[in-house]
Amino acid sequence: MINKMKTGKKLIFLLALMVSFLLVGTASAGIPDPVKQDLLEKGKKVYFKRCVWCHGVEGGGDGPSADRLFTRPRNFIPGTFKIRVTDSGQLPTDNDLIKTVKNGLPGSAMPAWGEFLKEDEIQAVVQFVKSLVQDRDFNDEEDEEVELMEFGSNPWGTTGPYHLGIPQEAIDAGKEIFTKNKCFECHGGEGRGDGNPTMKDDWGFPILAADWQQCWNFRGSRRNHFDPFNVVRTISTGLNGTPMPNFREKITVEDRWKLAAFVNSLCPRKKIDKLTSKPIPDFLISSVYTEGDIVEKIDDPMWQSSDNDPLIIARSEEKAANPRRNYIALAGQITRGKRNFDPKVDNLWVSSRWNKDKGVYYLVEYHLRFLSSDAGFPDAVAIQWPAKLQDLFGAEKPYFIMGDSKKPVDVWRASFMPKDYNSTNAPKEEGYQLDVTVDEFNGRGFDALEPKETEPTVKVVDSIFHQGRVKILFHRALTTDGEMDVQIPPEQFIPISFFQWAGDDKEKDEHMAISTWYYTILEPPLPDSLYYMPPIMAVVFVGLQGWLVWMTKRTRKMYADGKVKRDDLPF
Amino acid sequence: MNKSFLSLILAVAGWAVFHFGLFPIFTPAEPGMLINRYVYFLLFCFYLIIVNVGMKLKPAMALRALYVWMLGFYFYDHILSPHVPWTLFITYMMLWTIGTFLYISQDPVTFREFRAPIVKTIIGEYKLARIVAFSVLPVLVGWATYQSIYPSFAEPVELRTVHPAPPASTKVHGKTYMLEKISNPFRIDEQDNYKDSFPFLDADKQEYMKFVTEGGTIFFQNCHYCHGDQLNGLGMFAHAFNPTPANFIDPGTIAMLQESFLFWRVSKGGPGLPNESTPWSSAMPPWEEHLTTDEIWKVILFEYWYTGWHPRTFDDESAVGE
Ligand code: HEC
Ligand code: HEC
Ligand code: HEC
Repeated sequence: MINKMKTGKKLIFLLALMVSFLLVGTASAGIPDPVKQDLLEKGKKVYFKRCVWCHGVEGGGDGPSADRLFTRPRNFIPGTFKIRVTDSGQLPTDNDLIKTVKNGLPGSAMPAWGEFLKEDEIQAVVQFVKSLVQDRDFNDEEDEEVELMEFGSNPWGTTGPYHLGIPQEAIDAGKEIFTKNKCFECHGGEGRGDGNPTMKDDWGFPILAADWQQCWNFRGSRRNHFDPFNVVRTISTGLNGTPMPNFREKITVEDRWKLAAFVNSLCPRKKIDKLTSKPIPDFLISSVYTEGDIVEKIDDPMWQSSDNDPLIIARSEEKAANPRRNYIALAGQITRGKRNFDPKVDNLWVSSRWNKDKGVYYLVEYHLRFLSSDAGFPDAVAIQWPAKLQDLFGAEKPYFIMGDSKKPVDVWRASFMPKDYNSTNAPKEEGYQLDVTVDEFNGRGFDALEPKETEPTVKVVDSIFHQGRVKILFHRALTTDGEMDVQIPPEQFIPISFFQWAGDDKEKDEHMAISTWYYTILEPPLPDSLYYMPPIMAVVFVGLQGWLVWMTKRTRKMYADGKVKRDDLPF
Repeated sequence: MNKSFLSLILAVAGWAVFHFGLFPIFTPAEPGMLINRYVYFLLFCFYLIIVNVGMKLKPAMALRALYVWMLGFYFYDHILSPHVPWTLFITYMMLWTIGTFLYISQDPVTFREFRAPIVKTIIGEYKLARIVAFSVLPVLVGWATYQSIYPSFAEPVELRTVHPAPPASTKVHGKTYMLEKISNPFRIDEQDNYKDSFPFLDADKQEYMKFVTEGGTIFFQNCHYCHGDQLNGLGMFAHAFNPTPANFIDPGTIAMLQESFLFWRVSKGGPGLPNESTPWSSAMPPWEEHLTTDEIWKVILFEYWYTGWHPRTFDDESAVGE
């Protein structure tokens, strides 16, 4: 087609083509949405009732809650906003802010207001927030510019909630782009955010790179947690005020989608509660009965299961019988004693196997970006049990924070220090070995802990810290001689809960992260009758069928022979 | 027989259209008076009746019985919302099966009509039907046996009393309070006068707003992690706790409680609950350990101001809400 044109026209055509190529990736420049003055009064009302507690009277991010929040509430004065469709450093559009207010910023204290405020209230409060910005000016047409970024569209047409079905080649290509652009320097080798412990944000506070394997905590998830678009937007625009840069020049739009596909493929598909933006916990930890030997090696295939919910992504054939990895939600212990308002770990994954000879194994895994290098504050994780299971009546349990005076608990704690470790080390392929000490104690209240005097019974048989993830494999026999040890009966629901201490955060004693009571059950082996009863029942049924045919035919014959008189109803 | 077959095809095809086409339309996020699942079900019943009566199909009795039975199954399994528990479902279906039998055996003629195709299948007059039925049924029986033997576990359901009877008196910071006698010392005025006031900004001018601001400050330093920045029980830690933190926006919590009850609940927290309220799993802190008596009263004052609810009072049993 080009050949048929005259040279001049050709040139113009090519020029136009080039310009349009340039436009893809930067797209339209314009001015910021000005502050809508008429909404300010209403916005002020909403702000001073709902937002002031965190964002402060002047929007300085210094409300009363601020000092006890780890990602502090935003200081609006400099006009720096993280989640935008505009270029790095630029102001956000009204629409960006409205979406932020509606969906909140998951992983931080900033809640979703969409179900709570009315549409007009949200519109108004956003204008009021804009009016709090002092260092920038939404009304300044001369010095302020906004360019809406071009993001292309989802090349695979996947849909929510889980965005499954992206071809593996795209994900693999994304992984190469990840390596090439060195995302791992901040986000770690497997995306758990364990790359760099020393970053600061523009407000001078420490900041950690996002953990891609917990995409429900992405600030910009817009409550569509598995949508690769969120990642495309983040790498196209960067997150203002944070070390997270944009990669607009380095990565083409097409490649950004592939990279996003890779990033999202790391995030386990779990059912996410829209109201809290967190996975729904797995309240029952089933311990899988295991015939014969239970291998005491975490990297044995026996212990490999995917984090995906098997109901969302079916498990592969060879792993179908492996224990499910159960999601256990953790929160800071802010109920008793010295409270922990900013826990570093917000969930554990627990799986378990057992049999009568070998006892019971619990594999506890969790993401933690950096371990402690201070022996006075080792990292630790613990399993809590009722010490006197046999004395509990009905749903009764000991108090979930280390028991109470009447109902003691039995706690198995593994404290550990990594060998040859420094948090600023480059990612280490094979991970770090851990120096583990196990202690067992009884609790009759968080301030009444008694170390056990009986022989130790709990062992940690294997452990590792690898790419921002701790794995600890606990083992114990089902029963022991200790009077204050939990005796674990098979086929019964047993209360179980977890504690975790991040040494790097100087967590110790009741200054920790906790879970609520869960249940665990040692599942019985599959009964033998499972294999012989069904065929027997089927054969019996075939016999029954034969008998039925015989009976029916006999009756017919009796009618035919006139031995029995049929009633003479019409038929 | 051919007409019965036609009837069956129309029924199955109609169901497919209804189930995959119309059902989603009739189950929007907020059901209306007409657009709801029960109306949908009625429409489907009408469809079946109209097709069969209108076209004079007169399907065989056995088929009619099957329709009746399947309609019941569809209703209990799919229409009735929320789905009833499994055991209850079985009970309902048994009753429904008995009902279907009553329908079949309403008189000897219908009963025989119902029986006829079954007898013909058994003695082999319908050859194909017999082969299919006699080979499929034993397999089904085997499968059902397998299912019933396969061990499966669901976590136990736990019930708790959310609002237990409070004690007559409670001792906080060394002082004993008779719950019936106490009231909030900071409720110095009618709350509704301050609906449009600003915390912080009006704290200097209005004493009431000063207390509200102080209460809010305590709330946002201590309580929002669980009860949420919106007081709706959805704080950033809330999902980790079971029972979940109370939702103060809900008319079933502080709106129907007396302030003295709250004073007791806030001071003593989870550990202060009686056994029927599962004190062992409530994450609610005993706030007497962290806050002063005045601070507890102020945060209670704040909770009512923020939600707009009014505490229930002794003389006015039904004063609830705005
Ligand atoms: C419980 C405290 C809390 C409350 C209440 C709160 N916020 Fe926030 N907000 C935060 C935190 C924390 C951040 C910072 C999160 C981050 O930087 O990752 C934030 C950030 C923001 C941002 C910045 C978004 C961006 O893209 O960078 C906006 C806008 C915002 N909040 C608006 C509001 C509005 C409007 C309200 C009231 C309706 C409100 N917030 C109430 C805690 C709160
Ligand atoms: C210089 C360090 C650094 C590099 C390099 C980096 N990031 Fe980030 N990234 C961060 C930080 C810090 C955050 C967390 C910001 C926050 O919490 O507000 C982040 C957050 C994110 C998020 C979450 C955004 C959200 O909505 O919360 C994604 C996705 C992301 N980065 C992807 C990438 C990708 C892909 C690359 C490589 C192309 C990359 N990052 C390179 C520092 C970096
Ligand atoms: C660690 C989480 C947590 C924190 C922090 C917390 N609560 Fe609670 N609260 C709960 C839970 C869980 C419940 C519901 C279970 C129960 O009844 O104990 C509850 C219940 C309540 C109730 C009873 C409501 C009813 O309907 O009976 C009141 C009142 C209350 N909290 C007030 C407060 C106040 C005031 C604060 C802050 C000073 C606070 N809570 C902080 C977890 C918390």
